[in-house]
Amino acid sequence: MSRRNIADQLEGVERIREETRICRKYGIDYTVEKGRTMRLVNLLHPQALRLKVGTVIRETKSAATLRMAPVDGYLPPFQAGQYINLFVEIDGVRTSRPYSISSAPHQTGFYDITVRRVENGFVSDYLLDGVGPGDEFESSGPSGNFHYNPLFHEKHMVCLAGGSGVTPFMSMIREVTDRGLDREITLLYGNRREDDIIFHSEMKDRASRFGNFVYRPVISEPSKTCSELTGFINADLIRSVLNDLGSKTFYICGPSQMYEFCIPELEKLGIPKNKVRREMFGQPQDITAEPGWPREVEASTEFKVSVRGGKTLRARAGESLLAALERAGVVVPSLCRCGECSMCRIKLVSGKVFQPRGVLLRQSDREFGYIHSCAAYPLSDLKIML
Amino acid sequence: MSGFDAIVIGAGNGGLTAAATLAKGGAKTLLLERHNVPGGCATSFCRGRFEFEVALHQLSGMGDASFPGPLRSVLHGLDVLDRVEFVSMKNLYRLTIPGRLDITLPADRNGTVEALTKRFPAEGKRIKEFYDLVYEFFNQLISVIYMRDPEASSGKYPLYFKYAMASSQDLLDEYFNDPLLKASVAAYWGYMGLPPRYLSFSDLAALIFAYIEFKPYHIRNGSQALSNALIEKFTENGGEVRFNCGAQKIELENGAVSAVVTERGERIPTGCVVANISTPVLYNELIGVEESPKEKYEEMSGRTIGPSSFTLYIGMDCTPAELGIEETTNFIGAHDDFNHAFSQLRDIDEPAMILVSCFNVSDPGASPEGTCQIAVVDLQYLEPWLSIPPSRYAEEKYRYAAKVLDLVERVFPGFRSHIEEIEISTPITHVRYLGHPGGAFYGFDQHIKDSRLINPPVQPISGLFHAGAWAAGGGFQPTLASGASTGRAALKHLGMRGR
Repeated sequence: MSRRNIADQLEGVERIREETRICRKYGIDYTVEKGRTMRLVNLLHPQALRLKVGTVIRETKSAATLRMAPVDGYLPPFQAGQYINLFVEIDGVRTSRPYSISSAPHQTGFYDITVRRVENGFVSDYLLDGVGPGDEFESSGPSGNFHYNPLFHEKHMVCLAGGSGVTPFMSMIREVTDRGLDREITLLYGNRREDDIIFHSEMKDRASRFGNFVYRPVISEPSKTCSELTGFINADLIRSVLNDLGSKTFYICGPSQMYEFCIPELEKLGIPKNKVRREMFGQPQDITAEPGWPREVEASTEFKVSVRGGKTLRARAGESLLAALERAGVVVPSLCRCGECSMCRIKLVSGKVFQPRGVLLRQSDREFGYIHSCAAYPLSDLKIML
Repeated sequence: MSGFDAIVIGAGNGGLTAAATLAKGGAKTLLLERHNVPGGCATSFCRGRFEFEVALHQLSGMGDASFPGPLRSVLHGLDVLDRVEFVSMKNLYRLTIPGRLDITLPADRNGTVEALTKRFPAEGKRIKEFYDLVYEFFNQLISVIYMRDPEASSGKYPLYFKYAMASSQDLLDEYFNDPLLKASVAAYWGYMGLPPRYLSFSDLAALIFAYIEFKPYHIRNGSQALSNALIEKFTENGGEVRFNCGAQKIELENGAVSAVVTERGERIPTGCVVANISTPVLYNELIGVEESPKEKYEEMSGRTIGPSSFTLYIGMDCTPAELGIEETTNFIGAHDDFNHAFSQLRDIDEPAMILVSCFNVSDPGASPEGTCQIAVVDLQYLEPWLSIPPSRYAEEKYRYAAKVLDLVERVFPGFRSHIEEIEISTPITHVRYLGHPGGAFYGFDQHIKDSRLINPPVQPISGLFHAGAWAAGGGFQPTLASGASTGRAALKHLGMRGR
């Protein structure tokens, strides 16, 4: 019996066929669906933003804020603490860097990003020396999960910042104080010297005006006249600032050494794991100093990298594969550049790479030979698949 | 640019098995995926010390080596069984309606009948008769539909011909009185996205039969492991995959597929395309409204777009036992009226029915020792989420997530205090990642009238094939199977019989 004949004999089939006729009669014209939903979704998650520098605000000798307005007049909302990945083209090389947004989420006319000079920093040098009002950039939409989450974070957040790691906290502090939110923030902000402190006067001002914000800079190489807390943000210092360690969520953002130092200090204080949040923070300045780096390979050693179906390039052991690919003009999407978001995932067909601690690889990606190219350093000639 | 025998657009479940089938069959095949990772819904992501499964809850149709189910046969045919590990579950689910019902059904026919009879002793006789009916009906369905018995008739297969067009509600009402019993039997409605009143009895019977006979399964390291294995096999067989490279246009010549243009502007000749994307996007965007056959829009016009979901991916700092979680699959209903619960999918006020999956119960390696990974799913349509102004979106997400967690807390008290990581996805998130209208991972609603038997899909473009949820219905087994059968049809079109 044919399918049609079978269908004809099913009990109630005429009623069901009538339903089809009625539904089509009063049906939906799907041609109007074209692009509709994505237009709405793009209000929250645009694939890319065009940003134009309005003002450059010098914060310290080594840091500046770029105030950037949307070229098309619209900026998607973000949660205080999130970042954008800013694309730049320097000497013909297209690369990108993630920057936390330091302006407040309720400030919808612009995003501020605050850049501090990194030693030998390819991108920070360019942004601090080569960029001025009117310059345009492309960026990702806001991203990242280093933000307050009312589902399981305590209302009292204790922020431990180091250097330019203060930027996501600036956004949070502005939001909580300006909007009068029912939350408390204590900021412990570590810097080497007093004149390294970014946002110092604004922090002092807000702390003096708002009872729910406490600001304590911590200086490790104080001048003779320094009146701030001195030393490092360790267990004793944290305990001395906080009356009570309970009912608080701790947030850490700073250079990688800061996590290595602060997380054990919080453990000493008995802070449970689910009360500690940490932001990602780039790749180590010197990858060869990482534990597990093979001593026989020097940072300057070059290897051959062949892209399946594409070009072959030279890559230095001391530079991430992503950076080497970008230098060679090979386009690989990227977002966090810290080994966590998986955007720059590629397949390692053959060869060996060094992957520092903290890279969040899916278990099956590990087994099937995928790597995050932003956090993979060549240790031999490589064959890869994009 | 030299051409390909076949180009597969989209590396979701259907695209992956279609591509793997084509490459194995000897076709020179290109697989295009606009994301950087294969799988579509069948993927995972990392947060802190957790890796979260995105979409797979209970794999149906697997069976074991001695009694293989249809899905195991599909995966065996693609040579990926030795690269992926499957973990079986001993129970179907626990259904709780706080204060009124708490029942666990084993993945065993007699065990399920016993558990239901123990809780609803007055209806024990009818319970057994219902499961007898499910089995007899479904065996007849297999003979008529899958085995294609040439002598099929209403005389030979009376149950099939009588009930094939019936709704689940028709049969639940015919057999049972207690609404809690009806709820206990039909808890799987969420896996189809339709409540008993719309869900065909064929589909409910298939769910019950397949999960009991072949047991529910999970994949070690999540569905990403299967997606990766399929890509691996595809490329081993000479297939070429391009990630971060979507298709922008399917070009036609004299009503037949002639080329695919990628979003990078590259035109690649081919006479055969397998699309693993939504039907509206396929015709509106890739073929183009002008070039698309009118009958396809006519067919689509009678269909409605299915639900998406609000999902919480949660990493807990304790073991399932510490939370009192004993089952992998836990349904929690705010009430027993699933038809009303379905209406509530268009509202973001109160969750009506949620699924709490804790993968560690059947796979202790699902997260680091001393922790567990949990996914809480609440089906939701996209519309109410589009009405939220972007500036309020995050707050609404948290507000609704708190309500979902309140419902979880009613069965697992103290749950919230153990959260270490949590990520929320909404229907908007699913639109963003899948590109489907409505964020509808099951594709169109699968009403009784939408059965392929009643409305066989029209496909007037020569060389164009369609695989996945929008072509064959949602879920892992249907999409994986649809890709394999579509791949075989494409091979036949190419004049290749396969190896």
